[in-house]
Amino acid sequence: MLAVFLQLVVSGVATGMLYALVALSMTVGYRATTVVNFGHGDMVMAGAYAVFVFVGSGLPFAPALLLGLVVLFLFGLGTQRVLMRPIIAGPHLSLAMMALAIGYAVRGGARLEWGSEVTTLQRPYAQDAWMVGPVVFTTDDLVIATFVILLLLVLFLVFNVTPVGRLIRAVFQSQRGAALVGIDVHAFHGVMWGAGAALGAAGGVLLALIVPLSPDMGVWTLLRGFAAMTLGGFGSLHGAVIGGLILGVMEKLLGFYLSTVFIDITAYLITILVLLIRPSGLFGRQAAVRV
Amino acid sequence: MHLQTAVRAFAATALLAAAAPAALADNTQGITDKTIKIGNLGPFTGEAAVFNPLNYGPEAYLRYVNDKGGVHGRKFETVFADSACNEAKGIAAAKKLIYEDKVFMIMGNPCSGVAMAIKPMLEKEGIPWMGPAANPKLTRPTVPAMFHATYTGIESGQNMAKFALSNPAIKKFALIAHSNDWAKGYCDPAEAYIKANGGEVILSTAMERGSTDATAQVLQIKQSGAQAVMGCLYQHELIILLRDMQKFGANAVVVGALGADFDQTVQQVGNPAAVRERFFQPYQFKAKIGSKSLQDFHDIFVKYLKKEELPKAGPPTNFYYFGVPVGIVTVEGFRRAGPSPTREKWIAAIESIKDLDTGVLADKVSYSKDNHVGVNRMFAVGVDKDGKQTVYTQWGKPLPE
Amino acid sequence: MPRLRVTRRLFWLVPLALLPLPLYLDQYRQYVVNLMLMYVPVGIGFNVVVGNLGLLAFSNVAFFGIGAYTSGVLALKLGVPWWLTILPAGLMGALAGCAAGIPALRGVRLFYLAIMTLAFGELLRWVYIRWVPVTGGSFGMSVPPPSVFGWTLETEGHKFYVFLVLVVLMVVLTDRVLRSRFGRAFMAIKDNELAAAAMGIPTDRYILLAFAWGGFVVGIGGSMYAALVGHVTPIAFDLTELILEFAVIMVGGLGSLLGSVIGAAVITAAPEFFREWLGFQELLFGLLIIAVILFLPRGLASLLARLHPVFVDRYYRD
Repeated sequence: MLAVFLQLVVSGVATGMLYALVALSMTVGYRATTVVNFGHGDMVMAGAYAVFVFVGSGLPFAPALLLGLVVLFLFGLGTQRVLMRPIIAGPHLSLAMMALAIGYAVRGGARLEWGSEVTTLQRPYAQDAWMVGPVVFTTDDLVIATFVILLLLVLFLVFNVTPVGRLIRAVFQSQRGAALVGIDVHAFHGVMWGAGAALGAAGGVLLALIVPLSPDMGVWTLLRGFAAMTLGGFGSLHGAVIGGLILGVMEKLLGFYLSTVFIDITAYLITILVLLIRPSGLFGRQAAVRV
Repeated sequence: MHLQTAVRAFAATALLAAAAPAALADNTQGITDKTIKIGNLGPFTGEAAVFNPLNYGPEAYLRYVNDKGGVHGRKFETVFADSACNEAKGIAAAKKLIYEDKVFMIMGNPCSGVAMAIKPMLEKEGIPWMGPAANPKLTRPTVPAMFHATYTGIESGQNMAKFALSNPAIKKFALIAHSNDWAKGYCDPAEAYIKANGGEVILSTAMERGSTDATAQVLQIKQSGAQAVMGCLYQHELIILLRDMQKFGANAVVVGALGADFDQTVQQVGNPAAVRERFFQPYQFKAKIGSKSLQDFHDIFVKYLKKEELPKAGPPTNFYYFGVPVGIVTVEGFRRAGPSPTREKWIAAIESIKDLDTGVLADKVSYSKDNHVGVNRMFAVGVDKDGKQTVYTQWGKPLPE
Repeated sequence: MPRLRVTRRLFWLVPLALLPLPLYLDQYRQYVVNLMLMYVPVGIGFNVVVGNLGLLAFSNVAFFGIGAYTSGVLALKLGVPWWLTILPAGLMGALAGCAAGIPALRGVRLFYLAIMTLAFGELLRWVYIRWVPVTGGSFGMSVPPPSVFGWTLETEGHKFYVFLVLVVLMVVLTDRVLRSRFGRAFMAIKDNELAAAAMGIPTDRYILLAFAWGGFVVGIGGSMYAALVGHVTPIAFDLTELILEFAVIMVGGLGSLLGSVIGAAVITAAPEFFREWLGFQELLFGLLIIAVILFLPRGLASLLARLHPVFVDRYYRD
């Protein structure tokens, strides 16, 4: 019985890492621009398809991945510049709608191209499974977990140690103030928006290692990522990861021990419970965002 | 006062409008000397768009018939309409076909909810409907103008169970299904069939769209000791289930519903051991796709469908073949209805069809006044111990090629 | 002839001018018009909470679903004629509104509130799927044809007149609410909640009130859905629907009553125009919203506001 429990936890951590990845990339965008990209799920999807296209055109996996990330970075940068910047001074909800609409259009475009079939992305490595005691691990689990942990470390360093981190904090606290001391806030926002999209694309590729491609794959994961982010505390990097892990593990445990019908709402139940007790999430500060 | 007069005039016209009866469509609407107008309704946007080959299959056949000169000198003209698998939009699509495009009939693959939402309207207007939809409620109880040319969820679900039960060793079943109408449309009849035929359902689990793994479900299945799993899942999730069954060493047999293409599923699971003698689906056709006897249909699809209507890569998939009988039976109806078809004549012609060999389905098509589902018998498809795709008439009995 | 003075009263001409519409429209077009009318209360209720009160509450689709299911269950299971289910649908919507407003009272704000209200809608959808004896589960339920005073609404034209009355009623009542001290309190809370509380405005009470009123109006939209579509299923109240409803208020105009009306019309009509380009609807719809938000960040209502002051909203400011 312990074996089952351990297996559920391990699988839950693997799933939670994916949620954490989506949450992390959304957090980067939010920390840098104070805007939440509600179309982020579709960036995740677009990244997976971009790499799929490059691999399909004959490129080896690594350059295809790199190209895919570059494309999504440019796409993020471009949409921020052309579509978000002109309305950046308007109500926050207009930005939310804009992000949603961009995502909606991207999904519609993907559906036109790939909507009537299920495709998969070939792994660049051999899938293997190991038994550690009674628990099964796969190469996918390790690849995803390693990537997320490395990413968390890198982001932690970037945000807290490097000059970029100081820049991010400066802009987050006061855009006017940052502009006054000579920071090009607009360019900064564009770059960070692009970085968020590229990170999301990386998440999409990892997701595509374990599930088939579909135009809706991003949206399906976005909500879990968003829940994880809120659960952990909006804007907190480690909060996003811990939130994701909690959701992943709880889905498996509730699903197995209670009923599989609860898997679908675990994220919502836990988020509601936690936020009723701690209105700013587990590791959140009182957020300061204009609406 | 001008305003008052105006108001009165408006009110009068309004009353008039309210009193005006709805104009009923006449029984030759959509038919001219040269053409027959047919609506082709299905999801072309939204998550269910993955099913739209079911709409292109019959479309290809109509184009083929047109190319051969049509029926009684008339050619088919199709108007596509997108139901988006959403009731409000689906009603709009159907209403547009009926009242604006003024079609003679609708061929359709609406989602279950859309089908139920448009059924009263089709019934009231007497619009003939011929479809491959999984939803059995369109034709049960029988409605005068509505027909199924292919298997509904009831036949498919029963055959999922029947195939597993044809292995005398299999008695204990687990169900795994999406929490939606489509999945229940397969798993409910499967469950009823299992219970009525000496089997036992010992576990019922849910796996939702967008799941990234099936650990909880598979461990439950493994623990329950189920020998066969009825997988009422779309392709996306079916692949994940098969992968995780293998990963956790659950060795129950999985019989999938018709939401997935067999070839693609086998290939995309990416692990022969996970499907060999383990994964099956009820099979709608008389022979293997890609075999000689279905070659004609392959050629029709490739010749008459546009590039964007065909798969991005590879040959036409299961759903194209699954849709094509809708076109075949519809055309047969017009052949039999004679040179001046009306809706009544077409309906009578369809009801007169007995033992029609479509050349593609596993069963011959027969209708009667109280039976508007043309087919019943199905085979099963699986991968045999040598890794070869095989059509079975029952467990362990391959269909002679 | 004396020059006509442009006042708000002239808005009454709009529903009057619409009266003869069923004479000119076929059943398809009339249905689309009815759909537009249905989305007016749905947009209005959403806008009161998100626009006027300024809270990030995305539970609108929950109120919509509750309304539709209330109407459907009463009509199907208890045989209540449709017109008698309208008020219960609104009241259930209001109740759901209060429930969705609880986190806001507990001080949950911004994105935290967004995910909680969103979760609320998804939880309800889960209930619709699981509570099979009452809701019919994932197959949903077929609602009997709607009737008013024993008179069955046979055609889309019949439904149109009943809907028009309901929509006018909801617009007028919401206008009253927003122009009363309630509306002014909403505005104060939106501007600065702390200041409003410091001025002695019982903010909790007004927040709950806005949620309740929003839920009520949207619930009535839900009962219109039951009458118009005739088949109520859980999938109709999913996140795609929520985005659509959000688009209604954003394209129409945040915090604008007029905007809700315009948004409902545009967002409903646009996909019908895009039908011709099979499969392109999602892409085109997305692009349309992008274009409107980019060029008119305050929505289409702001275009009218430029034309004449009568169109300017008195109860909203950024």
